[in-house]
Amino acid sequence: MEALFYVFSIITIFSALMVITMKNPLTSALYLVLCFFALAGFYVILDMQFLAAMQVLVYAGAIMVLVVLVIMLLNLSKIKKIKADLHQIFIAVIILIILFAEIVLYITKGSLKKPTGIYTRALINKVGNTQIIGEFLFTKYIFPFEVASILLLVAIIGAYLFAKKKY
Amino acid sequence: MSVNGYLIVASIIFCIGALGVLMRKNLIVVFMSLELMFNAANLGLVAVSSYLNLIDGDIFVIFVMVVAAAEAAIALGIAVAFYREKGTVDIDKANELKL
Repeated sequence: MEALFYVFSIITIFSALMVITMKNPLTSALYLVLCFFALAGFYVILDMQFLAAMQVLVYAGAIMVLVVLVIMLLNLSKIKKIKADLHQIFIAVIILIILFAEIVLYITKGSLKKPTGIYTRALINKVGNTQIIGEFLFTKYIFPFEVASILLLVAIIGAYLFAKKKY
Repeated sequence: MSVNGYLIVASIIFCIGALGVLMRKNLIVVFMSLELMFNAANLGLVAVSSYLNLIDGDIFVIFVMVVAAAEAAIALGIAVAFYREKGTVDIDKANELKL
């Protein structure tokens, strides 16, 4: 498990770096798919196989297919010529180094809360993580679940309106 | 592996995603960096909820995935409309509100 964690973190961080540095957006998209698969590996290590399957199906499947389709619609040779601004990159890197230092300080200096719940890994593996997630989703979280359906309806209408020729 | 390791990895991915949003000018790559930030948040939620023996974080991840799917549809619709209007996806060309 320890070795798998390091392997997945190296793959994830490397592919995330490649996503933001590659010139060709199609290469970035393929590295992003690799990043999503490595993150699904993290979920498997954490005993959440259902979420790993959702990650591969929804992110690496649906969303990335949509992205690649849109890249296909656009003119790739024109997109590749977009120049980066060195001054902007410099400021962004400094901001992000400070942000990362703050987050790491917060994580390492803080003290962890004691585990409070009853859903230990043994219980989740005994009952099955899909069943537990389903029970929570349709009892305690039924209202957010219904709101999510309205959000998806709004997204369908919005995407249609944006893609229309004339407003 | 302790929960701290997962949180450090999640924060690294989040910072890389935010860096991509701030420094790239291609609308599609900015959108992909946003997806990276979503995924970093998901990893943190799953790790903490696994550490605290709770399920609520995992449910939240499912809702984040719903929002990300809706956002993908809208954002790519905007990208296509922008490309049709300007003939490029350089976000510096989106300057019509400028005085």
